[in-house]
Amino acid sequence: MSRQRRTGVGRALNLFGPFIGLLLVIALFALIPEVQGRFLRAANFKSVATQSVIVALGALGMTLIIISGGIDLSAASNIALASVITAYAINAGAAPILAILLGVLTGGLVGLVNGGLVTRLRLVPFIVTMGMMGIARGAAKWIAGNQKIDAPMTWVNELMSKSPRPPWLLLAPGIWIVILFAVAMAVLLKYTVFGRHIFAVGSNEATARLCGLRTNQIKILVYAISGLFCGLSGVMEFSRLTVGDPTVAVGLELDIIAAVVIGGGSLSGGEGSILGTMVGVLIMSFLRNGCTMMGWPNYIQEIIIGAIIIVAVALDRLRHRTA
Amino acid sequence: MKSPVFKILVIGLGAALAFAACAKKPSEPSGSETAKTLRIAVIPKGTTHEFWKSIHAGAIRAEGELGVKVIWKGPQKEDDRAQQITVVEDFISSGVDGIVLAPLDDRALMRPVQDAVREKIPVVIIDSALQGSDYASYVATDNYKGGVLAARRLGELLKGRGRIFLIRYQEGSASTVQREAGFYDTVTKEFPGIVLLVKDQYAGATTETAYQLAENLISRFPDVEGVFTPNESSTFGTLRALQESRLAGKVVFVGFDSSPKLVQGLRDGDIHGLVIQNPAKMGYLGVKTIVAILRGEPVEKVIDTGVVLATKDNMDSPEIKALLSPDLTMIKD
Repeated sequence: MSRQRRTGVGRALNLFGPFIGLLLVIALFALIPEVQGRFLRAANFKSVATQSVIVALGALGMTLIIISGGIDLSAASNIALASVITAYAINAGAAPILAILLGVLTGGLVGLVNGGLVTRLRLVPFIVTMGMMGIARGAAKWIAGNQKIDAPMTWVNELMSKSPRPPWLLLAPGIWIVILFAVAMAVLLKYTVFGRHIFAVGSNEATARLCGLRTNQIKILVYAISGLFCGLSGVMEFSRLTVGDPTVAVGLELDIIAAVVIGGGSLSGGEGSILGTMVGVLIMSFLRNGCTMMGWPNYIQEIIIGAIIIVAVALDRLRHRTA
Repeated sequence: MKSPVFKILVIGLGAALAFAACAKKPSEPSGSETAKTLRIAVIPKGTTHEFWKSIHAGAIRAEGELGVKVIWKGPQKEDDRAQQITVVEDFISSGVDGIVLAPLDDRALMRPVQDAVREKIPVVIIDSALQGSDYASYVATDNYKGGVLAARRLGELLKGRGRIFLIRYQEGSASTVQREAGFYDTVTKEFPGIVLLVKDQYAGATTETAYQLAENLISRFPDVEGVFTPNESSTFGTLRALQESRLAGKVVFVGFDSSPKLVQGLRDGDIHGLVIQNPAKMGYLGVKTIVAILRGEPVEKVIDTGVVLATKDNMDSPEIKALLSPDLTMIKD
């Protein structure tokens, strides 16, 4: 881990690299007179933040997985499954808090199974989670009876409300939850033994094992934690939609992975940061928001986000070569 | 250590400028717009289906006639409820004067519409219903009536008896659910001799999923005599499956909506009837209604845009032809 012995500039660049991208995106729209006034309003930033919650929660877990050298293609299906479970439980008369718990735990269970299969069967995470992508999506449709579940309105739906109650919260409770967990995960990764072990497993699994790390346990735990975040993200998805929709978030796993990669995560493992990931999420959200405000057609937005991913990773490589 | 910082900045700035340059173009026509021009956001369920293109064409016609600015934008992924909510929210933030929305879900879009109304942005709902009463007007096809028309056509051609499929589109899409209900009610009430072999299968969002479903159903029930499908993608997918299994023309097939391929199917005798709506009129009246509201004129709460049945015999009459093959030349992007 030579990263700690970087020079000041190199480290600053590493820390602020993703921010440059975010600032560029914000500056881009802030400079266009047509949307300037509207884009820079607090209300708009609030709405972008709310829109980011679902991807952000998924990306918190995905960051851990990617640092550990894995990948989770089932994240989006897991989110849909958790949202359906939550809606189902509320509809069946369960107390909202119990429904939330069930949703989150379902996500955790899916993650645990992912981790178990990856380690016990020694399968590539790509394959295991690709299989789980179908299983979780199918289970969601099955439980929902192949339709969406209309659940009665409860305080769960307030979690993603742009005008939160009580008003002193200022932001939707979902945003606070993201901030809270982002800080917690950042601390976990940087300052705990478990966090450093995740980096070790991702950098070189064989060496980590030879050094006495229980790599399988670490990996299972990483997938399970990530699953819990997907579950929480599913609860937020339900809160936002007010219905449990088994077809929601198709393809969202790629947005989640993209956020981690834009934020400096390396798909070969051993690298990534929570801060970077969160910036990655915001870059994509701001792009969507700005493009919609401009009334640009969707294909422009898709091309820009595609280009951003490539530029971000290219920048990251450049940073490595020079540092 | 300075050069890498500089290099990154240059690359980043260059990239941003490149985006700005290539992205700026489509918005140019609106650059000269005066501040007083009303900006109307029109939000379809998707942008690639023929149906939405017709709505777009109608909206553009209204744009020209009324001297307003129409901003056309659907969810980035077709049929994604969460993304449609995001689009509505972003338009509220951008401060458009009015929103014309085809909601992907009769429930999930309620809250964003409430948000819009709270921000004093009126909303006109088109195509599919929305629960609640926050919207100002609902401009749509009488979908139930469309299902009834289809059922009668199928019943007459089968002379009141036979074994048929009712292929459904997707749960939660209010418009197709009503068509299916109109069809189902009419078949069971008026044609007791007709047996529904299948009535709870969903074709899914795309032509591909509909194709697969129809193929599987045909291999399960090769002696099927009639089929009804409630929208463009399910009709086309089923048409392909019928053609592949050489049943096209033999099975009485009534579908919904139109596209060049479906019109060809009608001409070839593979499709025996297409219930067609008037999407161009829906787009046109949607924009016209929201502008009327913004100008303080009274509007109806529900506006029907009508359905007709196109058959091989009437498909070349001018009014049917205009609906089957709408003029889309006015759409620029």
